[in-house]
Amino acid sequence: MKTIIFNKHKFQISKEGILFWFDKQIAIISDLHLEKGSSFGHSGQFLPPYDSEMTLRKLLKGIKNQNIKKVILLGDTFHDENAFNRMSEKAFFLFNSLIKNYEVIFILGNHENKLKINHINLLNEYVIDDIHFIHQALQKSIFQISGHFHPVATIKSSIKKITAKCLLHTNNHIILPSFGTYTGGLNINDPALKPFVNHKSYVYMLTKKSIYKFTSREVET
Amino acid sequence: MSDILKIEPIDNWLKKNNWAIYDHQIETLKLSENGYDVLLVAPTGGGKTLAGFLPSLNDLINNKPKKNNLHTLYISPLKALTIDVHRNLTNPIEDQGLDIRVETRTGDTSAYKKNRQKVLPPDMLMTTPESLALLLSNKESKNYFKNLKYLVIDEIHTLVNTKRGDLLSLNLSRINSISPNCKRIGLSATVKNKNDVLKFLTSKKKAKTLNVEEISVPKIDILETNNRVPWSGHMASYAIKDMYQKIRKSSLTIVFVNTRAQAELVFNKLWQENDNNLRIAIHHGSLEKEIRRKVESLMSLGKIDCVVATSSLDLGIDWGDVDLVVQIGSPKGISRFLQRIGRSNHRFDEPSKALLVPSNRFEYLECLSAINSIKNKFLDEIKEKKGSLDVLAQHILGVACSEPFQVDQLYEQVINAWPYRNLTKIKFFEVLEFVKNGGYSLKHYEQYSKIGVNKDKFYAIKNKSVRNRYRLNVGTIVESYMLKVKLGNRTLGQVEEWFIEGLNEGDTFLFSGRVLEYQSISNNNVIVKSTSNTQPKIPSYAGGRLPLSTELSIEVRKLLSKKQFWKNFPNQINEWLRLQSKFSNLPSLNGLLVETFPRLMRGKKRFFLICYTFEGRNANQTLGFLMSKKMQRIGCKPISFVATDYALAIWSINEVTDVNIILNNDLMLDDLYEWLEETPLLKKNFRDAAIISGLIERSIPGQKKTGKQVLFNSDLIFNVLKKHEPKHLLLEVAREDSYRGLIDLDRLSEFFKRIEKNITHQNLDRISPLAVPLILEINKQTIDKSEMEEYLLEELENEMLSEVGLI
Repeated sequence: MKTIIFNKHKFQISKEGILFWFDKQIAIISDLHLEKGSSFGHSGQFLPPYDSEMTLRKLLKGIKNQNIKKVILLGDTFHDENAFNRMSEKAFFLFNSLIKNYEVIFILGNHENKLKINHINLLNEYVIDDIHFIHQALQKSIFQISGHFHPVATIKSSIKKITAKCLLHTNNHIILPSFGTYTGGLNINDPALKPFVNHKSYVYMLTKKSIYKFTSREVET
Repeated sequence: MSDILKIEPIDNWLKKNNWAIYDHQIETLKLSENGYDVLLVAPTGGGKTLAGFLPSLNDLINNKPKKNNLHTLYISPLKALTIDVHRNLTNPIEDQGLDIRVETRTGDTSAYKKNRQKVLPPDMLMTTPESLALLLSNKESKNYFKNLKYLVIDEIHTLVNTKRGDLLSLNLSRINSISPNCKRIGLSATVKNKNDVLKFLTSKKKAKTLNVEEISVPKIDILETNNRVPWSGHMASYAIKDMYQKIRKSSLTIVFVNTRAQAELVFNKLWQENDNNLRIAIHHGSLEKEIRRKVESLMSLGKIDCVVATSSLDLGIDWGDVDLVVQIGSPKGISRFLQRIGRSNHRFDEPSKALLVPSNRFEYLECLSAINSIKNKFLDEIKEKKGSLDVLAQHILGVACSEPFQVDQLYEQVINAWPYRNLTKIKFFEVLEFVKNGGYSLKHYEQYSKIGVNKDKFYAIKNKSVRNRYRLNVGTIVESYMLKVKLGNRTLGQVEEWFIEGLNEGDTFLFSGRVLEYQSISNNNVIVKSTSNTQPKIPSYAGGRLPLSTELSIEVRKLLSKKQFWKNFPNQINEWLRLQSKFSNLPSLNGLLVETFPRLMRGKKRFFLICYTFEGRNANQTLGFLMSKKMQRIGCKPISFVATDYALAIWSINEVTDVNIILNNDLMLDDLYEWLEETPLLKKNFRDAAIISGLIERSIPGQKKTGKQVLFNSDLIFNVLKKHEPKHLLLEVAREDSYRGLIDLDRLSEFFKRIEKNITHQNLDRISPLAVPLILEINKQTIDKSEMEEYLLEELENEMLSEVGLI
């Protein structure tokens, strides 16, 4: 894990893409996009329907034994309004074990506008100690931890370009990488992410084995 | 002869042109008239095409069958060939004023013409395997093919034991069920296993192979030059001046190259040399079809002096007056080479003339071996392959698109196709389930099935959109995502997306024979402008290079190991080898030479290990993967390797001290399965299988990512399947293809047997003469991508940390 100081608080990012706030016993994860795979079924594209299961298992494993009480999901937890109903028994079981064992805060994502699940409240925003947990970053000077963009970064080594999911840290923003098994990425030099990248940005690239920290200047633009 | 022929107009036409009819042409006609399916195996220029069409022409002229029925279907692996054959058939038909309508139908045919062909079928239709599959997926296809009398398959040997061949074979079996009396004629170049080709052509008992021997031995020379033959590379720039002089002295030359990048470069260099204003053109598969057609027609009109071409002009095309064929680089296989040579003096009884231009020193040896092999009448063997299940999945959906089917009947039809003859019913059902709804053990998608069953147990597609999507995804050739190259309003052709991604604004590259400056990408178009810059980046395309065959490899090893052969080599090759024997050692005929030496690479000290196996690219690549795996395990931190047809070079962060540990047969083959699961090769083959089978859809230029169409990253799916359904059909296909792609596994086992206790290790303090070409070889292969990335990132980060003074 690597440490990020954000609004004087100490956060830790794991190589799986889970942001820990150990002082508060909180784990923050973004963009699970559960049932993205099965969402293409109605048009005759039958992707392996095991992505939710894998995503949830990875999440539970990642926060286990970390002394976590609260889990904040930063939106787009479900890929679409029917996703919850399409979940397999196994995925459903894992989901239940998540909400039973932890206090889970669901932030509303743009994929979830029409989503309705009994006993689950989707919040526009959640605030702890002046830090705002939201789905999509706002161009405001408040401290925000968000997701939505699925940031990836590319770095040019001496031999070739390497692209990986990344956490983006700029002044008052932390933008988390997407966590879902079938989620793709948006390069941090895409115009949509430009407002949140400047010379003071740090990029934490996540690979299977470790986390690598670069400044935004070192990353290819 | 004319009484034998009995086709008056054709006879007249031949006489008019002072042409005689060949015996095998008559023989083909006779056999076909007697109800035989015929495989005609003949060298290029043997009048094969006319032979193939004689039975059909005879029927059309003498028996005058009902009009507005498709009478003859001609299938060729190349679009260009359909057009050429169309032209060649139209000549006698127009000359003799015959009432026979001949048309082509390929991916290039306009929608208007395609529709007209549906309503008003021509007598003869020339098409490709893909276009045939599309045609057969139409609702009316049964009606369309029911009166088909003749089927001519050209260059059939290039389709046997390929996925394209699988697709064609399945569709042939389908045509057979529609019009069982249709007669087939296959046209093939000379190959070793003719029997397999015949079986592929037809399952009928009344089938015969006609074999025509080559009369004249082709005259092949290696280009003589006073310039330095380069150590490495494939561009043969050194030879341009000498080549140009040869081209100048000939009336029409085809310069064959092996890749499109080579074509662009050679074309560019020839023009730089072109003081005599020769008319030099370029022809390759990524060029816009109008540009290709124009070159083809200029060639046949004799308005061109030289064409630089890739395999897009390889097959059967009749250019009449070509008097010189130049082959740049090794042709890698004998049949292919003979076919290319056959482009010159396209007459059966005259010797073909060809000039070989090795593009590097190893290739010189290879070219010499190729000439020896042709002298010894050696032939390539087509390696056997069973029908691929991803292709079958595509086919089943295609059948369902055209009409409802019964499972048992379809199964019978499928196993009647030669590549699928051993397919079990269980496997067939597995594929059917996959087509229906993905075939997962988790019954997730039943409600969305593409194919439904009605009460009479007929399977049919659920709705029209299934057919439309099928049509967008037909075919077995999976290419990288392509972007159109636009110069002003003109489209010049297409390039792979990854190539453009590597460019920055203002970078220049060679394309369509011009130097272009890259400006931007918009709407899937690459916007370029002309530039006077003469030092362009070169577009390098994936694929196109075949591995060296076993027989040629042995031939090369023989040449190397015996100094008495060297006498006839040019001085510089001779010196190169002598220097090698002085500095290090020479590869022996049966042992293995291994060299190790340190060397700076991009400022960092690396340890190089070279194995001179001469076992061909595939085997060397396998060996490379396996050896790096082993090196990783013992802590040598291998970075990457290059595999050529001749040797393998691995470089690592730490030194390998004992090569015997790494070159241990048992240990390595144990690693094989585990290793395969991690290779990028398996992922690539999985992607291809996923696209061919229809699990993910093809990316189509100008139609990127709409809500409905998903360009899904196949690696993500691959990882999920591996975990949850490791025995899934598509993983099985990908594994099989990988083993096949690395067939040289057998060769590798043989290799280990051969070199056991026969390894010569030369520990050197610097690079040896023989190793220079390898180190220069740019075609890098990554070992295990993620492993490599870890090392590089680590290094890069440390570098930067120390730069800012943190460590």
